Amino acid sequence: MADDTPCPLTEATWRREFEAASRRPLRMRFKYAFIHTYKPVLDDARYRSFASLSEYRAWCEANLPSWLGYDQAL
Amino acid sequence: MTRRFEYVQAEEIRDAFARHGVRYLFLGKSGAILLGFPDTTQDADIFVEKSAENGAAIVRALDELGFVLEPREAEEVRRGKDFIQLKDGPFDLDLIFAPDGIESFAKAWSRRVDIEGFLVCHPDDIIASKRAANRQKDRESLPRLMAFSDYWKQQR
Repeated sequence: MADDTPCPLTEATWRREFEAASRRPLRMRFKYAFIHTYKPVLDDARYRSFASLSEYRAWCEANLPSWLGYDQAL
Repeated sequence: MTRRFEYVQAEEIRDAFARHGVRYLFLGKSGAILLGFPDTTQDADIFVEKSAENGAAIVRALDELGFVLEPREAEEVRRGKDFIQLKDGPFDLDLIFAPDGIESFAKAWSRRVDIEGFLVCHPDDIIASKRAANRQKDRESLPRLMAFSDYWKQQR
């Protein structure tokens, strides 16, 4: 398994981002955090339900384009 | 019609769920963002308690929020089908009755975080559920989310 420990420079960058975010009011954080782009297949039904999350994940792996990032395979 | 989840809609969820007595917690990246995590997401993930009473309350609240549910769909919400995606309302909403990585709603509820009236899972629970999901997109975001969790705890 790859080591995903961030390097010190990355950690420092993240810390600055966290500090900056903490100074913004919640309403502003919301404004820039929630986006919407069309996701093929996933957005093409108005309602879906699954008996378990594993069933949902299997459906994602079988039906969604891999570039959406919903697959579990490495 | 915009499908972006807006702050005012989050307030509407918060207030409608409170009016109807829904037991819920924001989970996933939407929960982390409420806690202060600077990132982006596309929908709101809500962890809801699985009980007949809560299911009925959720259906009433969703109706008030403008989500259109067919009778069969409303019944699935009432009985707490594990994972339900709603894309026919004012914004996209995922209802999760049984998230992976979290032992029980009661445990998550006991360590919930209240952010301006929004009830949110503790970062440890958000991380646990993302770890359990183990999707490519979760693996990519986890190191930064874990760093945020450490920062968040230091600030409290």
